[in-house]
Amino acid sequence: MPASAACTRSEILVESLSSLDTMARLKALRDVKNQIIGNKTKKLSYIKLGAVPRVVEILASDSDVPLLVQSAAAVGSFACGNDAGVKALLESGVLPHLLKMLSNSNSQVVEAGARSLKMIFQSTLAPKNDMFQFRRVDLILALLNGGNDNVAEVAASVLARCCETKEHQKILADAGCLHSLVGLLKGSVKGREAALDALAALTRGNQETSVLLDMEQGNDLACFIKLMKDKSPRTRLFACMCLLNIAEAFPSGYHQQEWDIKKCMLSTVLKLFEESGQVGEESPGVFADLVTNNEEMQKAAFESNAIEKLAEILDRGVVSARQLEGVLLAIAELCSRLEESRRQILNLQAQRHITMALESSIAGVRIAACTCIKSISRSVKNLRTSLTEERLLRSLFKLLDDPSPFVQVSALGAASNIVLDFTPDKAAFFNCGGVSQFIQLAQSKDSVIRQNAIWALRNLLYLADMMVKDRVMRELTLSILVDLISDSNERVQEQALAFVRNLVYGSVECVQLIFAEDGAILHAIERQLCVASCPEICIQGLYVLINVAAGSEHHKEAVMEFVSPVAAGSILVRFLEDMSNPQLRIAAVWCIMNLIHAESPGVFSRVLRFRDAGIQLQLQKMVEDPILDVKDRVKAALEQFSALGTSS
Amino acid sequence: MNKLVMNFLVTEGYVEAAEKFQVESGTQPEVELGTITDRMAVRKAVQSGNMEDAIEKVNDLDPEILDTNPQLFFHLQQQRLIELIRNGRLEEALEFAQEELAPRGAENHAFLEELERTVALLAFEDTSGCPVAELLDLSQRQKTASELNAAILTSQSHEKDPKLPSLLKMLIWAQNQLDEKASYPHINDLVNATLEEPVA
Repeated sequence: MPASAACTRSEILVESLSSLDTMARLKALRDVKNQIIGNKTKKLSYIKLGAVPRVVEILASDSDVPLLVQSAAAVGSFACGNDAGVKALLESGVLPHLLKMLSNSNSQVVEAGARSLKMIFQSTLAPKNDMFQFRRVDLILALLNGGNDNVAEVAASVLARCCETKEHQKILADAGCLHSLVGLLKGSVKGREAALDALAALTRGNQETSVLLDMEQGNDLACFIKLMKDKSPRTRLFACMCLLNIAEAFPSGYHQQEWDIKKCMLSTVLKLFEESGQVGEESPGVFADLVTNNEEMQKAAFESNAIEKLAEILDRGVVSARQLEGVLLAIAELCSRLEESRRQILNLQAQRHITMALESSIAGVRIAACTCIKSISRSVKNLRTSLTEERLLRSLFKLLDDPSPFVQVSALGAASNIVLDFTPDKAAFFNCGGVSQFIQLAQSKDSVIRQNAIWALRNLLYLADMMVKDRVMRELTLSILVDLISDSNERVQEQALAFVRNLVYGSVECVQLIFAEDGAILHAIERQLCVASCPEICIQGLYVLINVAAGSEHHKEAVMEFVSPVAAGSILVRFLEDMSNPQLRIAAVWCIMNLIHAESPGVFSRVLRFRDAGIQLQLQKMVEDPILDVKDRVKAALEQFSALGTSS
Repeated sequence: MNKLVMNFLVTEGYVEAAEKFQVESGTQPEVELGTITDRMAVRKAVQSGNMEDAIEKVNDLDPEILDTNPQLFFHLQQQRLIELIRNGRLEEALEFAQEELAPRGAENHAFLEELERTVALLAFEDTSGCPVAELLDLSQRQKTASELNAAILTSQSHEKDPKLPSLLKMLIWAQNQLDEKASYPHINDLVNATLEEPVA
């Protein structure tokens, strides 16, 4: 029976790895090595049979060159593309022994050890933190400068994987890695690639190290610019990453020909989409970074047909998670400001791919899909027609309950835009339970989630009809709203006030909502207006009052009671005098104007009260306000005053 | 020009010629001539149908090559199966197909079709009538040998094709392009490379 015979053969082989006879050990080692190279199934089966600790034992205690070389090769093969192997190796304590091999006098041994180290470090399980102990960084640096091409390449690729935190990046930069890595750029092809990979990793998201790299090059980027046009796609990609990192470190411009360089990067990275392997996977993400927050770059990208190329990748079907994430983020950035990009991506029928991405098992992909929807849904035209498909809504709202808070926040962001649609009954959102979810999340312990949830509710109420507002208030409840208005977090307060602003807009009935339970909501808002120092909060609060003041006589009097009590000053004066924020001044003037609207019965008494409180005088002082919008508003208000027949 | 010649000799694996050329012209080879010998030993093993030996040798040369090239590894194992069938060791062949090739198909569905084609050889007693008989051709060994050779060259950061043939192709292409625009002396005979005046 062949199967079991083979099993026994393997078991015997594994036993022989610990044989006391050197030749037998060597033969078994070579045998195992040759069986596992290229063969994932065999790797796993030998791991199960306990081969790994025995191989590591040989690596650790033998000194014969052939045994060392063969055991290192076996270690490297166990680790190659195989996390189970890496785990078994690390558990057997392989790292210190491999590192020791790197200082061996025999170059064959050193190379074999270096190769295996590289394999281990290509895994996500690589012991990155361990590299920062016992002066191992110095060892790696010595290997970088050592003059052996292959070993230097390995050292660089190990460094590239050890840059995950800012602290690690700093330690490596301080140790002089940048200089050594730059030295490798003139060497062999593989060494150059590994060095660029490491430089990109060292400078990623780190202004300090990026500036250091720029200084290392004497502010001369010619080297990287040249490498952007290299034959090797990996070199081109990594060179772009380095340039991008440096550009981000100098937000106010870093080079005279910055625009040309960036355009070159754009077309370079765009072409890299078609490459296979790591380059094809990473290039969309790099592209996204390149166009982030830069409208000119986004326009240039649109003109280079970037949207089409990205949609093409989505259409391919079999796309790795990393690549998908990058593509969606790139689309999100390209559609963040440009309507033509949004139109194009919807014309290319990307919604179905985005919907599927919402259901991905990878959190990063889900977040990218939400970000995409958020950008596309900024298009007023497209909201009602292209993004209200039921499956998309359902999948999106499902993410509001996602285990990851980051996913929740990004789903909230997308949902906030979508609920801004203009159907007054907003039935679709109630039907998929989204509204209840918003309300739940508005009570989350996480302030960012609270803030975004209330924002979504605020958008939901925008131009909504009374039924919607009633339903929301019944579920949210007055007391929770009052709590949110006085929330510990200022951003949450601001959104809560904006929510009320939309709540009371539109009709006398709507205004009446905040008078419930002795005007609890109104009083909470009034308290905020008195104590809040943040202008954004005051602006929203004032708009609530403006909307209330557009209501009935009773409503106007209620507002008047607060802003200008009889025989007392007016708190509006404070806002009118605030030169730091024109929006605040405008809002205050609007409030006044609504209160002295000519067609209401109590208008004359209110005019007199304002006059007594010095409001008219204050307005006259503002006739030459530096901001045009404020000037116009003030002029209109003063006209109202004079039309009502008061002069002073 | 000397570099071109050396590049050709090295890529194609003519070690002795490369050594002599180095001595006579003083041109430095791009890689250590020792590695060429190793590479040629691998090639020879494949061309003799000795796949186990070829795999051992390439693993000694660079263990990463087969570990990072699933398609190449599959083709080497496929060739191993073919050699077992060629030598009439059919029971061993069947066992090998189950133990070694089936897992490759499981690990990567792209190989399933080729796997099926190869295993079809086992179904025919008289392989000359078999639709996949070409797998038994020596040209199949050649194909495998070239694939392996190219992978070794790439791992040594060497181009897998010599530059000379490409240059000649470019010369012919350039002349074709130029023909539309100008009249000039051509190189028509690539062996002698003499310039010939254009025909009136």
